Amino acid sequence: MFFTIGDYIAGALIGIVTALAVRVAVSPGMDMVIAILLGLGIGMLVHLLVGLLLSPLLGMFETMMPAALTGMYGGMLFGMRDSIAAGSATLRAAATVGALFGLIVVMAMKMYDRVLRGTVIDTGE
Amino acid sequence: MDTRTQRKWDDASRTFDLFSFAEDRRLGPGKRKLFEKIQGRTLLVAAGTGNDFKFLPPGLEVTAIDISPKMLAKAARKTAAYDGTIELLQMDVCELAFPSASFDTVATVCTFCSVPRPIVGLRELHRVLKPGGQILMFEHVRSAIGPLGILMDFMTPIVSRFGPEINRDTVGNVQKAGFRLRRVENVYLDVLKAIEAVKDGSGWDPANRAA
Repeated sequence: MFFTIGDYIAGALIGIVTALAVRVAVSPGMDMVIAILLGLGIGMLVHLLVGLLLSPLLGMFETMMPAALTGMYGGMLFGMRDSIAAGSATLRAAATVGALFGLIVVMAMKMYDRVLRGTVIDTGE
Repeated sequence: MDTRTQRKWDDASRTFDLFSFAEDRRLGPGKRKLFEKIQGRTLLVAAGTGNDFKFLPPGLEVTAIDISPKMLAKAARKTAAYDGTIELLQMDVCELAFPSASFDTVATVCTFCSVPRPIVGLRELHRVLKPGGQILMFEHVRSAIGPLGILMDFMTPIVSRFGPEINRDTVGNVQKAGFRLRRVENVYLDVLKAIEAVKDGSGWDPANRAA
């Protein structure tokens, strides 16, 4: 239970930090390609820093895999949104969407893990 | 001896045990289940700080190697808690000093993400295993899931500067080194795997193929 709750909190935290950092760096009117690349870079940095800080508590793999998806893909999406001011006008709204994105990624990863977990090759020896 | 790799893991030894709290609880059962299959004289590759000794079944005769003397210094403190024999040696898996056919089992934990020449290392392990011997591996590999695999490729040049390469095809490398797969199990997503393979007793050795 500790790890399950921790995974979701970590996902939300990485989503929030990424969304806020992208909001600070990308302003409306910025070239969208530059904004997406900037979002990717910010997401990479954020997921490495926050992920490494949380890994001792939650485990390297279970933290870093969703963190990478949330940070890097989320960073690109947030960058795209913020370059054209397409919603989440306030910092609070941007943080909420970031948290939601992180939570959904963690949930998707847990579902995927359930599907994939188990034997894939067994010769019966 | 690959001094660059040695330095990297000497540096990593300072923070290595920080991750044991969560790793032991989340991955420990999977390691214990895999190591239950250990039989006979055993080589544990990349012992690290000895954190995985507690998952070994009792009563074994284990030779544990690592390229990093600083890792081994920490591992030495943990050998006393093991109910069996653990001999620690500093050695590069790509240049093993053991005679051919010395071991019944080889065990690895998150090792072949970090060996710069994985197939060379795996061929060395194939050489030192007795015919019919087994290799038991708990390894992380590149994900076959599109978006995850791409991220792992993207991150590897950065992560590998202070840690492992996270986009290795270790299951494929095991086969390339001459082993026959016996069992592969996904432990977390398709990224963390328990791999069991055997050295067939045919006498064919890929390391001697060019000869």
